[in-house]
Amino acid sequence: MNSTGVPRLAVASSQQQPLSKTSSQLAAQKSLGEARAKLKLEHAEATTAVVDPSATKPPRLTARERAKHPKLTPTDDILTTVAANPWAALTSSEQLESSPLPEGWTEHKAPTGQAYYHHDSTKQSTYVRPSQAQQPAVRYSQQAPNGITGLSFNGHRLNNSFGISGGLPTFEGIGNHPHGNRIDYRGSGGSRGGHANQQKLQPKDRSKLKYDIPGCKPWVLVKTKLGRRFVYNPEKNESFWRIPSDVLPSLTEFDRQEREKRTRQECGESGDMEDEEQAEAETVLATAANGAPTAAPAPGTSLATNQQTDRQALDSDDEEYEEVEVTDDEDVKNPSKRQKTEDENIEQAVEFNEDDIAFQLAAMGQDYGLDPGEYGDGGGEELIEGAEGLALTEEDAKALFKDMLSDQGISPYTTWEKVIEAGYIVEEERYTVLPNMRSRKEVWGEWTRDTIQRLKEQREKEEKKDPKIPYFAFLQKNATPKLYWPEFRRKYKKEPEMHNNKLSDKDREKWYRDYISRLKLPEVTLKSDLIKLLKSTPLYALNESITIHALPATLLTDLRYISLRPAIRDPLIEAHISTLPPAPTKLEVSLEEQEAQAKERQERQRRQEALAERQRQVQGEKRRQNGALRYSKGMLREGEEEVQRAMRVGKEGLLGHMAEEE
Amino acid sequence: MPPVRSARNRKPPPDGFDDIEDTLLEFANKMKDAENASHEGKKRHEVLWPIFQISHQRSRYIYDLYYDKEAISKLLYEWLIKNGYADGILIAKWKKQGYEKLCCLRCIQTKETNFNATCICRVPQAQLKEDQTIECAEFS
Repeated sequence: MNSTGVPRLAVASSQQQPLSKTSSQLAAQKSLGEARAKLKLEHAEATTAVVDPSATKPPRLTARERAKHPKLTPTDDILTTVAANPWAALTSSEQLESSPLPEGWTEHKAPTGQAYYHHDSTKQSTYVRPSQAQQPAVRYSQQAPNGITGLSFNGHRLNNSFGISGGLPTFEGIGNHPHGNRIDYRGSGGSRGGHANQQKLQPKDRSKLKYDIPGCKPWVLVKTKLGRRFVYNPEKNESFWRIPSDVLPSLTEFDRQEREKRTRQECGESGDMEDEEQAEAETVLATAANGAPTAAPAPGTSLATNQQTDRQALDSDDEEYEEVEVTDDEDVKNPSKRQKTEDENIEQAVEFNEDDIAFQLAAMGQDYGLDPGEYGDGGGEELIEGAEGLALTEEDAKALFKDMLSDQGISPYTTWEKVIEAGYIVEEERYTVLPNMRSRKEVWGEWTRDTIQRLKEQREKEEKKDPKIPYFAFLQKNATPKLYWPEFRRKYKKEPEMHNNKLSDKDREKWYRDYISRLKLPEVTLKSDLIKLLKSTPLYALNESITIHALPATLLTDLRYISLRPAIRDPLIEAHISTLPPAPTKLEVSLEEQEAQAKERQERQRRQEALAERQRQVQGEKRRQNGALRYSKGMLREGEEEVQRAMRVGKEGLLGHMAEEE
Repeated sequence: MPPVRSARNRKPPPDGFDDIEDTLLEFANKMKDAENASHEGKKRHEVLWPIFQISHQRSRYIYDLYYDKEAISKLLYEWLIKNGYADGILIAKWKKQGYEKLCCLRCIQTKETNFNATCICRVPQAQLKEDQTIECAEFS
């Protein structure tokens, strides 16, 4: 049997037994006699399954441990081992790739990319690369799940570094594992795809540091990446997780020295000591790298193993040489206790390490429905990192898009559909700063709202321009007596002045007709009219400081102003302006106030006029009354006089009458 | 006899009409094209779809201008509705909850359908079967 398979097979067989060499030795002594014969038989049978029996050494542990379980047949053993660790099969095929295929076997590639081998005549397929020596083992493979041919004890996925044979036995056991489901997980031998996943989840252990054990020459202590350690004998090409008894004292001594070193470092004298240690480790590793190929390479099949381990050694060389804190030191610190008690509980407690944590993490990940790699076990992290660029913030993107809308000169009153149909903005670079159409439309809505509000405010601020001014200018430019109003309107119906909503058509017609009639007047009357107009314009509207280009609206919207040709009109106005005094100091008096004042003045005048009228009326009335009074007085006087005259008839009057008769 | 309103004696539209006049003119042109489009190979009800569509778009445009962007005055808004630029009854529906995107009044008129149901376009997207074709003015 190949030496590399030794530890695992030992575990597989030791269902309830602790896995120390010494314990198995004890057990072996008990049952040595009865098991001896059977053991030989089994061993012989097992070796048939091995790839290259010539290259292997007799297993040190297995033989003895097997003695404890004489009923275990080799077939069972093999199959359970294969089921428990399908990686063994996988790696063995990798290792064997260099050797030529035996007759009848052909190599194929599975859809997963893995190579498998097919025998035409026997119709057998296997992932394990067959060799001449392996031929008889094929019968086992037919029983193995998934066609993974068993009997691949020569390879181990974990850490055959430095040509060290032997796996990590503690985790491969079936019976002695604390977690029952663990067996399913590891050893179910499910589909290849499932394995690929699980391979990711399992932390890959590999050798990291190598120390010479002082006083025990060929043996070296190897520390793995995960903080485990084992001893390795490069001369015999042996490796053990359990420290052999002959190495143990020197190793404990070494450990003590290490601890001292560490405590000294912690105390403060770090610097050079650390460097020293580093250098030491480096040199050790360098020698290991050099020595590895020579370190007892097994002929034939194990050559590939060595090549692979060389590579691993070099890899580990590249990595940091940081010292790993050994967490499961107890193994070595108090091995004597272990020897005596054979306490398996301690071992089980010790076994709960990073591997188990990784497993639990995987189980949790499955519970939460996560993909492997999502819970941060390497791999996926590389993809995530470096993916971020210099990203625009959302506000920036919005502002950019708004800027683009402003720059394009798009009316905020149009519809979004029309803007998109026109397609000018689509070609812009800034169009792409927003991720989708919905966000673009949102920003468009915002922009239109803002722009319309701004426009509104602007319009409110700027003074209302009289719509008559452009129309009157238009009239002066285009109107001729040759055209009647309907003709004129038809001719210029496309002009904006002709359909300004602020002016009614009626007014336009009236002004046109008036203007045409004025054009027929002689120039002298037009001039005098203009001067009259200029003189009637108040001083605040027209004064010295006003130029010909900024005439007041009252002037511009007067027919008398446009009736004259500019060539004659402008010098006239300029001459008039030059005669005017400067603007009144009370400039702050606004138009409205002036209007109000004028109105008040008018009111006052009207009131005074009304008063005068009333007084006139009152006087007339008085006169009439006086007249009537005088008339009535006169009449009264006349009546009185008459009465008095009548009263004046005396006796003499009668006497005189009588005397007349006599 | 009512007085004849011509361009000559028509009252000018309220302030702000100039801003939206171009867009409205475009809608009017589109509508004219849709009205004059050929009916060859179309079903009877299909002919009306573009008409409904343009009418909806124009109403939505004015609705947005008044209620969403507050770009036009109430005076102008009422004037536009009075002059047939927007469908006042449809806009009244849009203001009700659940009818914010109503495409036309026919789609909620249950009495016109065989099973006294609304139009298929009123069914929420989640309740529709996959690949179900919706034949309505809004989706044509």
